[in-house]
Amino acid sequence: MKVTPRTPADLALRHAVAFHDSAADLFTRSVRLTREALERGDLVALALPPDVEQAVHAAVGTAGLVTLAPAVPPLSPVSGAAEGSGQTTAALRGRELRMLSRDHPGLTVLTAHDERLDGADGAYWTELDAALNVAVADLDVTLVCSFPSYPLHLEVLEGARANHALLLTGGGLRPNPDHECPAEVLRTRPAQSPIVLGPPDLRLTYNSWQLHDVRGALETAVGLVGFETARGEDLVLAVNEVATNAVEHGTADAELYLWASPTELVCEVHDGGILREPLPGLKAPHPKDPRGRGVWIARQLCDLLHVWRDGSGTHVRMHARP
Amino acid sequence: MTADFLARGLARGEKVYYFDDGTSDAVLERMAEDRVPVAGPLRRGQLEIVSPDITRGAFHTPLPDVRDLLLSYIDMSERDGWTGFRMTGQMSYGATRPAGIPLSSYDAVLDGVLEARDSARALCLYDRTRYTDQQIEEMRGVHREEITAPAAYDDGLLRITRTGLGRARLAGEIDHSNRPMITRLVLADLDKVLRAASAPTDIVLNLASLRFLDVTTAVSVVQVAEGFPDTHRLVLTGVRPRVQRVFDRCGAAFARQLTIVELSEARGEPGVPADTGVAERAASAAEDTE
Repeated sequence: MKVTPRTPADLALRHAVAFHDSAADLFTRSVRLTREALERGDLVALALPPDVEQAVHAAVGTAGLVTLAPAVPPLSPVSGAAEGSGQTTAALRGRELRMLSRDHPGLTVLTAHDERLDGADGAYWTELDAALNVAVADLDVTLVCSFPSYPLHLEVLEGARANHALLLTGGGLRPNPDHECPAEVLRTRPAQSPIVLGPPDLRLTYNSWQLHDVRGALETAVGLVGFETARGEDLVLAVNEVATNAVEHGTADAELYLWASPTELVCEVHDGGILREPLPGLKAPHPKDPRGRGVWIARQLCDLLHVWRDGSGTHVRMHARP
Repeated sequence: MTADFLARGLARGEKVYYFDDGTSDAVLERMAEDRVPVAGPLRRGQLEIVSPDITRGAFHTPLPDVRDLLLSYIDMSERDGWTGFRMTGQMSYGATRPAGIPLSSYDAVLDGVLEARDSARALCLYDRTRYTDQQIEEMRGVHREEITAPAAYDDGLLRITRTGLGRARLAGEIDHSNRPMITRLVLADLDKVLRAASAPTDIVLNLASLRFLDVTTAVSVVQVAEGFPDTHRLVLTGVRPRVQRVFDRCGAAFARQLTIVELSEARGEPGVPADTGVAERAASAAEDTE
C-alpha cells in the first residue's frame, strides 16, 4: 500500500490576528470584514460576543452568515471536568469548519476573544489557536481572530502574536513576524492540566494484554451513567483508543481513572511516556494513513478530550454527558 | 460447533437435549451471541438442558437401561410432534469410568440407538482438556464420522475458526493485543484462494460473534480489502451495529472490494454458517467444546 504523507504544501489556512481597543472598534472592523467577505462570495461564520454579532446582523443582514457553536457547550458541566480545554474547542471548531467549507468553497470566519474563557492566566487562548493551526491547517479558510489590545492576562497577547501567521492592520493582511509553528508554541507553552477532581471511583492499572479489563470497566460505567446503547458503545471505543495509545506509545503499564455519576462520565488515562505530537487526534486523518485515526475518532465521540504532559508523563481526560 | 449443532436442531423443529456438566452457560451464551433465540425453545420445552446430576447419573446406569432410556426419549419426542431428536453435551465424566464401564461401551449403545431411530442425531464431544490423547484416539475408532473444527487461533479473547476455503468465523474481541492475527488471516486466505484452481472469489469472514474491534484493526481490514485484486472481494457478514460503526468511521464505504453485511441482513445470507447437511449421527468432535 502506498502511503501519501501530508506535506507543508497541504497548508491552506489563512489564520490572522487583529487587535481592537474597544467593542466599537471590534464591531466596526467585523462589519467591514463581513461586507468584504460577502462581496467576494464567501460564506461568513461568526463566533463573536452576542452583542457584537447582533450589531453585525443589524448592519449587514443575515444572508450568507452562520453562527458557530459556543466554545463552552450550553449544558454547563456539573463537575467542572470539561472546562478550559482550548484543544477541545479547536476540535469542535475544526469539525464545524470542515463541514462548512465542504459546501462553500469560500469561507471567512470571524472570532473574538471572550474573557470568560481566560481561566487563571489566559493560556486557554494560546492552546486554542495552536490547536486550530493543527486541526484546520488544510482548510481553505480565512480565520480572523480579534483580541483586545490590553487584555487582563499578558499571555493572551503573547499567545495571539505567536499563533497567527498573518496580522490584520489598516493596510490589510500581512505576514506576522512573531509567528511560531504550533509545535514550538506548545513546547514553550504546553497544554495545561485541567481542574483536579477528587479520588476516582475506579483506578485500574493495565497493560497491553488487559485492554479488555479497561473496556469491561467502561461498559459498567456507561451503564451507570445511563447512556443510550450506541453512545455508550462509542464511548467504550473512544476510551479504548486512548488507553491503547498509552500502552502502545507510552509505557508498558498505564492507569485508568474513572468517575461515573448519573449526569456525567469522566475518564483519565495516564502513562509515563512523552508524546511526540503534543496535541494528537486534531488533524483529520488522511484516508491512506494507516495510523492516527483512533484519537481523532475519540475526540469526535467525547464531549471533551484534553491531553496534557508533565514531568510524570502523558495524561488524557475524557468527558461525556448523556 | 456445539452451539451450531443445537441451533440447527432448533431451526428444524427437532427436540434438542443438551446434557450438561458445567458447560451449558457457555453454550447458551454463544447461541445468544449468534442471535439464536433460546428463551422460547427453553420455555416451550423444545430445548432441554439436562442437569449435571442426571448427566453423570447415566454413567452409573446399566447399559441396557441407558439404551431403553434413550429410545424412550426419542420416541417421546416423536409423539410430541417434534420433527426429530438431537442430543449432545459434555460427557467427560464417563471418561473416568465411574461404574467401571468403558466409555466405548456407552458409545456402542448410543450408536445402536441411532441405527434404530433414523430421526435421531447425536454429536459426541471430546475436548482435549478433558480427555487424554489415547481416549480421543479410541473414540475416533468407534465413530463413523469425525467433525473437527480446530480454532485457527484462540487467545481467550479472540477465536478464529476456519469454516472452509476462504471462510472463517471470528468470535470475541480484537484489540491491540491480538490485532495482527486478522490481517494475517485475510492475507493467508487470499493467497490460498488465489492459488486454488476453482476457489470462490470472495473471502468471507463471519463476524456475528465479534463483540468489539478497535479502530486500527478496522483501518487495517479496509486497507487490506483495498489491496485485493479486482476479481476478489472481502465480505464481512453478520456484522453487529457496534462493529459496523467502527468500520463506517474508518472509510469502509469507500473500499470497493469490501462488502459488509449487517447482522440483521445476514441471517441466511452467504457467509453465515448454513446447515450443510453433514450427517451428525454418532459424529465425534475434538478440541472445541463450545
